[in-house]
Amino acid sequence: MLKKLAIFFSVLLLLSFYTNDQAAEYKVNTGSIAFRSEASLELIKAMSNELKGLIIPEKKQFAFRVNVKSFKGFNSPLQQEHFNENYLESNKYPAASFEGKIIEDIDFTKDGVYSIRTKGNLTIHGVVQERIIKTELTIKNSNISIKSNFTVLLADHNIPIPKVVHENLASEIKVEVKADLVKK
Amino acid sequence: MLLLKRIIIFIVFFTWVQKSTAQVFGYKSFKLLEDNQPFKINTLYKTTDGFIYAGTTNGLYTFDGKKFDKINFSPAAKDTVTAVFEDDKKQIWSGFKNGKIAKKINNQLQYFEPEEGTPKVAITAFLQDKQNNIWFATNGEGIYYFTNSHLYLINEAEGLSDKYVHALALTDNGDVLAATDQGINICKVNGAKKTVEIIGPKNGLPDYYITAITPAGNNSFWIGMQEKGFCLYNHTTKQIIVPTAASNWNYGQVNSILATPNNLWIATQENSLFKLSDTAKSIKNVFPTASDKNNISNLLSDNEGNIWMTGAAELICSSADKLTLLPLYDKAVYATIHTILSDYENNIWVGTDGGLIKYILSANKIETKNYRIKELTAKTDITGLYQDMFHNIWISVMGEGIFVLNPITGSYRNINENPLLKKASVLSITGTGNTICAGGLEGVATIFELTESNKNITANYNYTNYNDIPNIGNNYIHSVYKDKMGRLWFGTDGKGVTVLQNGKFINFNKSNGLKDDHIYSFTEDAKGNIWFNTKDAGIYCYNGTAFKNYSLTDGKSDLKITSIKTDKLGNIIIVNEKGIDILNSATGSVTYLNNAQGIPDVNTAIESVATDSSGNILLSTSGGIVVYSPVTKTIHQPTTIITSIQLFLQTIDKDAEPHFNHNENGFTFNFTGLYYTNPDEVHYQYKLDGWDTSWIATKDQSIPFPNLRPGKYIFHVRSSVNENFENATEAKYTFTISSPFWKRWWFILLCTASGALLLFLYMRWRENNIKKLQHLQNEKIQFQFQVLRNQINPHFLFNSFNTLISTIEENPKNAVGYVEQLSEFFRNIVNYRDKDIISLGEEINLLNTYFYLQQKRYGNNLKLNINISEAEKKQIFIPPLTLQLLLENAIKHNAVSKETILIIDLFMQKETRLIMRNNINPKLSTEAGTGMGLQNIINRYAILSKEAVAVTNENNYFTVSLPALKHQ
Repeated sequence: MLKKLAIFFSVLLLLSFYTNDQAAEYKVNTGSIAFRSEASLELIKAMSNELKGLIIPEKKQFAFRVNVKSFKGFNSPLQQEHFNENYLESNKYPAASFEGKIIEDIDFTKDGVYSIRTKGNLTIHGVVQERIIKTELTIKNSNISIKSNFTVLLADHNIPIPKVVHENLASEIKVEVKADLVKK
Repeated sequence: MLLLKRIIIFIVFFTWVQKSTAQVFGYKSFKLLEDNQPFKINTLYKTTDGFIYAGTTNGLYTFDGKKFDKINFSPAAKDTVTAVFEDDKKQIWSGFKNGKIAKKINNQLQYFEPEEGTPKVAITAFLQDKQNNIWFATNGEGIYYFTNSHLYLINEAEGLSDKYVHALALTDNGDVLAATDQGINICKVNGAKKTVEIIGPKNGLPDYYITAITPAGNNSFWIGMQEKGFCLYNHTTKQIIVPTAASNWNYGQVNSILATPNNLWIATQENSLFKLSDTAKSIKNVFPTASDKNNISNLLSDNEGNIWMTGAAELICSSADKLTLLPLYDKAVYATIHTILSDYENNIWVGTDGGLIKYILSANKIETKNYRIKELTAKTDITGLYQDMFHNIWISVMGEGIFVLNPITGSYRNINENPLLKKASVLSITGTGNTICAGGLEGVATIFELTESNKNITANYNYTNYNDIPNIGNNYIHSVYKDKMGRLWFGTDGKGVTVLQNGKFINFNKSNGLKDDHIYSFTEDAKGNIWFNTKDAGIYCYNGTAFKNYSLTDGKSDLKITSIKTDKLGNIIIVNEKGIDILNSATGSVTYLNNAQGIPDVNTAIESVATDSSGNILLSTSGGIVVYSPVTKTIHQPTTIITSIQLFLQTIDKDAEPHFNHNENGFTFNFTGLYYTNPDEVHYQYKLDGWDTSWIATKDQSIPFPNLRPGKYIFHVRSSVNENFENATEAKYTFTISSPFWKRWWFILLCTASGALLLFLYMRWRENNIKKLQHLQNEKIQFQFQVLRNQINPHFLFNSFNTLISTIEENPKNAVGYVEQLSEFFRNIVNYRDKDIISLGEEINLLNTYFYLQQKRYGNNLKLNINISEAEKKQIFIPPLTLQLLLENAIKHNAVSKETILIIDLFMQKETRLIMRNNINPKLSTEAGTGMGLQNIINRYAILSKEAVAVTNENNYFTVSLPALKHQ
């Protein structure tokens, strides 16, 4: 896992080096990521405002990352503890990330609302899953804002649901990502 | 409102179908028109049922051979269809130019919307892999596959050479081959691991731009290319073979490739359609005369052996896989031809005026060679041709006997060693092995046995004549045939058929059941059955024991039969002037190839039909020679399909549970008998088990049943190209309409049970009532008896009389009053005896009378305090003599003296209870009582009231609390 993280960070680093002289690069200014588990007995939601990431329009590349421990808003402090220690094992796997490429060709110099799809690797709980994620991308005054909804199957990321909480925890988690990016 | 809705549903989208005239040989063309403008068919697809789908710029259509039916969107949308696919669950998928994908559900298209979204560029192809995952290729985004409810993408990140994918194919080991602008891409998915391997020019691929991939069997694929034609790729060995026919390709872009059992078909962008047959080394243009047949694409073969494709703006059906026209001669030559022959090199010989013409067919040209026979003129018709085992040609002639010709030297001679044949009119000449059979007028029935010396035509032939045999001789023999068992068959004109078997002649004629004694020609099927045709009664099959007749009712199109032959698949080919009937020798079903396929007029001479060395049938027609090549694995009957089922004109899901409510009883069944070869000839029969008792013939393709009773039904429909439904395919739909709930067994049972229960309860209630009544009656009688007994009790009378005596002595005036009270008391007892209840007032009167009588005895030592209002006296009722009895009991059980005054109180408690109470002064000697009086009161109240009588003996009071009975 550490190795993967190291690769991920080095990619991020590399990307930033590469693009330094190539002008166009957008960085997350404010970003939030929220998830909901709608189980039959309990609704669990949590949110983090510590979403980090960047988009490199020229290469159609992007990378987003969030610290798992930064999620707040659980139903109880105990729940948050379970989330971090039992399910996400955030000491072992501190970050969740999504990095890849935009499928469509869009003109980042033109204001507008674009419905795009991204193909990338979604890493949660140290398990990498290739995913296509639909995103609404708005360009206005050379700022970018993104909004995206997708689902994560816990089983896809080796997050086991103990039998006793089957009624409390959904097997499919709904995730919503919002971010404003500014040109660097 | 509902009616309006139904009418709207009725308004279907009528799209013009323009069908070009069928009389063009080799193809039929269909155009989809809107506002008189044909619109483009982008893709064709054949389902497992054999149904053809056309994806067009105007949406998705099904095509049944006659008309296009649009599959509408729900909700309405108009998208250009670029790909169509049917998965293993018979689910139809449709891909669009805008990247969207839809599924056909209940005859309507509904968008497929995965969480990941759908592409933004055209869908070019679908595929289902060995794990049943659906793949689709795009024109610009690479290849997607759908698994575990997620969509995954293979693009340049996985090493895909190019995101422009034109076709997909599945290999035997489960790899997916993709045709791209940059070679063949082999895609493998193993869990989350995706790999791509590229086969390009450096692997020997002639061209990097791949346009088509078609399975060729054995894990091999035909590859169509943009510039370099086509080649064969073997996925097992990764080898590429370029056929010689494609080695110097200069026909431009290949759009589509199709492999049929007989041929390989290559559709091109600029040069129409090419055919490469197994035997030929070079390709042939299929539409050499149709200059507009360009931009051919989307090849597929239907289940009947027709080839389908799209043109620039048309759908084309070609019969070229089974029918080939060789325009060898014109109509003038055709008029002189009575016989044709295909020799051992597949050259074609025809008999014409004064000689023979040989057509030598090679890849690119046709050579003609004439053989003149000077003895023959325009008036001496050549009736038959036969090539013997030494390749010499036998020629039967009207009025000139038989000639034999050496095709190499061109030398010939008349067979004059047999005097019977001298100037004879020989009608036919056939043979097998070393035997040659000739038949003709005036009893010509001659068998020649060839020997080695007959290699040279100059040597004499050994022969046997059968001219003096009864039922053969001196007659008109149409043909003589030697079967595989060595039997000789003679077909006579008017004497039936005669067979020579083990040296014996056996004749079959009308007396043996043959309908016609004029026998024309013979053939034999693979099982050794002998088939022959007659002048007017169709054809017969002789299986060694019996004759079976096949006539018009069995599906034969025409009784004027020229000749019959057996094709290479063992089917019987029956030739008539319109074309051929193909009779399946195993099942007896018949199909046709005739002028609807553009076959020109067929020669009606018996010997104008030939079989070539590969088992193809050659017909002489006014347009030249037509070659029929039977296609294996084709169907001979229409495929019957129930296309949709409507409930009150709303299409329902055919695969859903077929159980309907009693008011869901208006059904319409829409069906089709797919028979693309001749869709207009399809006949239908249907039957609804549970409604109809027998099959009903129809040409309609929609049958309504507006008002079905509850019950179990099976709708059957079958289709045939003729009246013979013996081998017809059948489609059926089983469904039930349930009875309304009030007619179902459980409801009836429930009703009966609850009825019975009610009746039972009622009876019990009545019984109880009667019992109660009887009980009351009993109690009353007992009470009356008790009262009477008490009052007539001698003690009472004795006391009363003693009182009376003392009263008379002391105060005679009062004695009269006392006697009056006594008689009043007895009269009241008699009066109230029969009544269940009396008013409290009446009872109190009676009580007072009795008290008066008793007070005379006890004086002031006995007191009765009555505290009852006048209203209560009227409102409250009481069983008669109750209070009197209680008073009597009180006197009976207590000592009444100056020291022990007995005080009796009568009052109401809370308006619901009537209380009679006395103080207790126990007697020293108790009068024996039966104890029945009080018990009787309790029993009577139990019947009259829900509330019980309460008797208490406490605080020195004996209290009886009676429920106050308020109303009768």
